[in-house]
Amino acid sequence: MSVTVHLSGHLKAFSSGELEIALPGKYETVADVLDSLWRRHLALRDRVLTEQGEIRQHVNIYLGSKDVRRLNGLDTPVSTDEIHIFNAVSGG
Amino acid sequence: MAKKENILMVGTAKGLFILRRKADAKDWAMEGPHFAGRAVYSAFFDNRAGRRDMWAAATSWHFGAELSKSTDMGKTWDAPEEMRIKMPTATKKSLENIWQIAPGADDDTLYVGVQPAALFESKNAGETWSLNRGLWNHPHRKQWTPGFGGLCLHTIVTDNKDPHDIKIAISTGGVYQSSDGGNKWQVTNTGVKAYFLPNQYPKFGQCVHKIARHPRKKNIFFLQNHHGVYRSRDGATTWEEIENGLPSNFGFGLTVTDNGSVFIVPLDSDGKRFTCEGKLRVYRSSDDGNSWKPLTKGLPQRDAYEVILRDAVASAGNEVYFGTKNGKLFGSQDNGDSWKTIQASLPEICCVKAYRI
Repeated sequence: MSVTVHLSGHLKAFSSGELEIALPGKYETVADVLDSLWRRHLALRDRVLTEQGEIRQHVNIYLGSKDVRRLNGLDTPVSTDEIHIFNAVSGG
Repeated sequence: MAKKENILMVGTAKGLFILRRKADAKDWAMEGPHFAGRAVYSAFFDNRAGRRDMWAAATSWHFGAELSKSTDMGKTWDAPEEMRIKMPTATKKSLENIWQIAPGADDDTLYVGVQPAALFESKNAGETWSLNRGLWNHPHRKQWTPGFGGLCLHTIVTDNKDPHDIKIAISTGGVYQSSDGGNKWQVTNTGVKAYFLPNQYPKFGQCVHKIARHPRKKNIFFLQNHHGVYRSRDGATTWEEIENGLPSNFGFGLTVTDNGSVFIVPLDSDGKRFTCEGKLRVYRSSDDGNSWKPLTKGLPQRDAYEVILRDAVASAGNEVYFGTKNGKLFGSQDNGDSWKTIQASLPEICCVKAYRI
């Protein structure tokens, strides 16, 4: 299904100012959606994922309202049409 | 002829500040914070070969550490789509922080020291970067362990007369050096204590906080250790204690001015980690570390509980600067005899880099 990715405002510097990005197409997993997102805005990739392809420790990705870390991570099947990427509330 | 200008790049826990002062001016003009909200542990002004490139590493605890460049003296900074410094996939590691940006011997070589402890190098003035494999494949690497600041390669000392000579310091790993441009690395910690290990004089594993080379006597180096102040007379190979007259042998920052004076700011033990006796005193040695003199004029001498980090002591020519975790920035233009407060309320100061152009 097509998916819309919603970004935290902190990421707009890496998405040409876009905070809501509609990604037409069919996606099996969260990783597939993100691959499509990187094709639109490559700069997001290195800020959201580590070099090892893992979600950065203080970044949270939600499929609908569920944290994908509590599901199957980036391999979670896409079951809803909304993904949110937030920076965690950590800081000092 | 243009007047000489002093430039300070002050990296803090919340961004980079750039201070500039013409030679005959009294006050500093400050710009920033650049990278507001991000921690800047390293910066470098590359004015070799007619360049005016400023480099800074900004770490977002959310979105990672990245190396940025400015070609307009810090007014604007780039953010390449793909980060410049990335751990190769095969290392199975991810970049945590960038601790040092340093020039190589020739005009186009740059080095970056990172956490996890590794060295990156660029042979084209920062256009492309690659991991130094010689160090990464060193058999000791997997036995290095993180100190409180993480497992970081924080110091890189090169010799502008010898492109093959590179010396580095790692916490905790100690001093390593290469005499072939970075292909092979030798461990050189002889004489440096690691009081926190059962074997207190191991071959490696020391928590070296900073090393610096004498500007003229190329084989003389100074070392601020995690408890211990040392000198080497043989090119950072073997080390001897030089703690005579110091109130503590613990501290982080260290700089050597063009006239050969060595400056450190002792802190009261690793259990306390603030200035001794509530007094902010810089210590200077003018005899290669044989003796030390406290410098206090212009610095608070009561109720001063300051912490000075490993890269927060710097010099340009014979001018000396340092910053504290309480956000105070001090400078001396008379070889440390007197000090002035340049800024008093910056965020926690992580690094101070000084230049005179």
